[in-house]
Amino acid sequence: MDWGNLFVIAVGAILINNFVLMRFLGICPYIGVSKSLSSAIGMGMAVIFVMTIASLFSWIVYVYLLDPATNFWGVDLTFLRTISFILVIAGLVQFVEMVIQKLAPSLYQALGIYLPLITTNCAVLGVAVLNIDENYSLVESLVNGIAAGIGFTLALVLMAGIRERLDLADVPKALQGVPIAFIMAGLMAIAFLGFSGLSVG
Amino acid sequence: MNLRQEFTKGLVAENPVLRLALGLCPSLAVSSSVENALGMGISVVFVLTMSNLIISLMRNIIPAKIRIPIYIVIIATFVTIVEMIMAAYQPALFRALGIFVPLIVVNCIILGRAEAFASKNSIWPAIIDAWGMGVGFTFALVMIATVREILGNGTWLNMPVAPAGFEPVLLMMLAPGAFITMGLILAMFNWSDDAKAKKLKDAVIKRAGFITEQPKTERSN
Amino acid sequence: MDPSLIGAIASIGGLGLLLGGGLAYASRVFYVKVDPRIEEVDEALPGANCGACGQAGCRQMAVQVVGGELTGADCPVASSDVVARVAEIMGGVAGAAVDMVAIVRCQGSPDKCPDRFEYSGFQTCTGGDKIGHGHKACDWGCLGFGECVAACPFDAMVMGADRLPKVMDENCTGCGKCVEACPRDIMHLIPRNAPVYLACMNINKTKKVQEVCDIGCIGCGRCANKKATPSGMVSMNKETNLPVFDYSYDDEPVVAVDVCPTDSLVDKKAGRRPIWHIDPTMCNGTGECAKICPVKKCITETDGGKYVIDPEKCISCGWCEPVCPTKAISPIQVNAIRKVG
Repeated sequence: MDWGNLFVIAVGAILINNFVLMRFLGICPYIGVSKSLSSAIGMGMAVIFVMTIASLFSWIVYVYLLDPATNFWGVDLTFLRTISFILVIAGLVQFVEMVIQKLAPSLYQALGIYLPLITTNCAVLGVAVLNIDENYSLVESLVNGIAAGIGFTLALVLMAGIRERLDLADVPKALQGVPIAFIMAGLMAIAFLGFSGLSVG
Repeated sequence: MNLRQEFTKGLVAENPVLRLALGLCPSLAVSSSVENALGMGISVVFVLTMSNLIISLMRNIIPAKIRIPIYIVIIATFVTIVEMIMAAYQPALFRALGIFVPLIVVNCIILGRAEAFASKNSIWPAIIDAWGMGVGFTFALVMIATVREILGNGTWLNMPVAPAGFEPVLLMMLAPGAFITMGLILAMFNWSDDAKAKKLKDAVIKRAGFITEQPKTERSN
Repeated sequence: MDPSLIGAIASIGGLGLLLGGGLAYASRVFYVKVDPRIEEVDEALPGANCGACGQAGCRQMAVQVVGGELTGADCPVASSDVVARVAEIMGGVAGAAVDMVAIVRCQGSPDKCPDRFEYSGFQTCTGGDKIGHGHKACDWGCLGFGECVAACPFDAMVMGADRLPKVMDENCTGCGKCVEACPRDIMHLIPRNAPVYLACMNINKTKKVQEVCDIGCIGCGRCANKKATPSGMVSMNKETNLPVFDYSYDDEPVVAVDVCPTDSLVDKKAGRRPIWHIDPTMCNGTGECAKICPVKKCITETDGGKYVIDPEKCISCGWCEPVCPTKAISPIQVNAIRKVG
């Protein structure tokens, strides 16, 4: 196992190509759920969890069902990628949600309520598609999934912290709410641009 | 509501990006050039129209409980078709849009319109609604892309428009430029809304007849 | 048959069966009992889980709707049908559909309740509230930066020149956004047809209130006295020293407004109430009306043994009407006669 390579993937997904600020994935929840710190943390944890599951299962589906080189029937079904990924992710997340709600109600309150929001989140489908595009192995896909989730959480929690403070500030009326959030995201993205000069590996 | 209104409501009054804040990811990601924005817009118009059409046709036979998975599968099918067509005929554009082509599936606009409109209306209104919303989306994308491409590259649809000596602002082409442009455009729309609302409010205040004095309890002793 | 076709059908069909069957099974095994209305609202909502409402998905929004925090209109994707359907589900519950309207529970304009110090921090209520209990002399008073006005989505509020927000009833939908926005709990919702409310939140008594505000409730309890409101609509809360109005009573407590020594009560129908009049041809001079009238020298006996109501003094309580044995007393809608002050 090449630990150095995994480290590069992780740092890349968390900082250099941060999902929200550099790749523009998951903007809707980023703007929607960043109003309070506590819900941002819950959402972030849920995203890490779902991204990991999505990376794992979408990789399995792709390799064993769709990819002509490795699948059971030896024919090219890669055109079914989008449709099968969304099915698998949506189905699994709903399944996990039901299980948590029954077996761990307190965990459900903290984390589970964010799960349905994530099924149709482009960041989750995005990480699954990216894993395939980059030809990652199963372990690499998992690391990329977890790291992308951490990167999303980082951006979300930072944003929520700023927005909680911003509640006290006197923002011009036209800029209040979503517009100022975007402008702040822009400033954060400038900060994250600094990481793109980072060379790892 | 007639068909014309169904179309025009998506352009400004209920513009999906600028008013409803839906489909934000692609509108930020592919708006670095007008060309990409147009490509994305046309893809969305196609998927939206076809999915609205099919869902409207099937609206009476889709069971309510599992409607969302069905919508997603229908939408994913058309996204796959777009993906294949674009890869075959517009490979450069396909590479530029990259991951955001398959991600049209999870664009809130499409699922939102399927649920809010196509599932309850007959075919023609559903198609017109899709056109209106799709064109509205394209319009918003092109608007953001125009600002970013002119400032960031000095061109518009790959044609040089900037005056001589113009130094392109690279930042506008990068991620921060997208966020900041989006924020300012949304603010502009809010501002014009506020100006209209203020006029209305002034009229109401005038009619209600109070501006400064609290209507005080009247007492007789 | 083309093998890729079989493969495609097998893959997607198999996945669909597996997931569908699994979910159907799981929904039975892991069934959790919840408020059936959450289920219904959830189904009515678009279900796109886009998060544009700021909630964690449609399900969570449904929980908030049933909890009374949100309405269908908070969903930016929902069509008017969805909004109506959600309202219908929620309206089916007894008592949930009372038409509410916002009120401002403070009348402490700068001339009544002066500033304690000059505040120059963030010009917002939340900010002002955090510095030394706010700059107003009264710890409960309105700070006047208008966060409630800014929060109103229906343009139903304006900031007056007296630094107090005003609610325009005709625009107010009772959504409660201003109630959430106010850091001092001054904005409240009351039924739209509620006649009178208390415009003060200061829980202190007599002197402590009078020191800071001329128009604050001193907790004297005169409005709750049986003589002022025989119906029992008004009662005193011993902990807050403030009168409480029970709007389930069908009563117009105008006498309570009249006896309030500090003008802390606001009559929402002020100036629009009728005054009462005795028909001299029907009056038999028993004087029952004069005995019950709560206002001194309002109903007086004339030289001819008849009784008359002084329109200048009548407070529109209407108590005299039912006690008259000859039914000589009736209300007349004469706004012109009402004087001001």
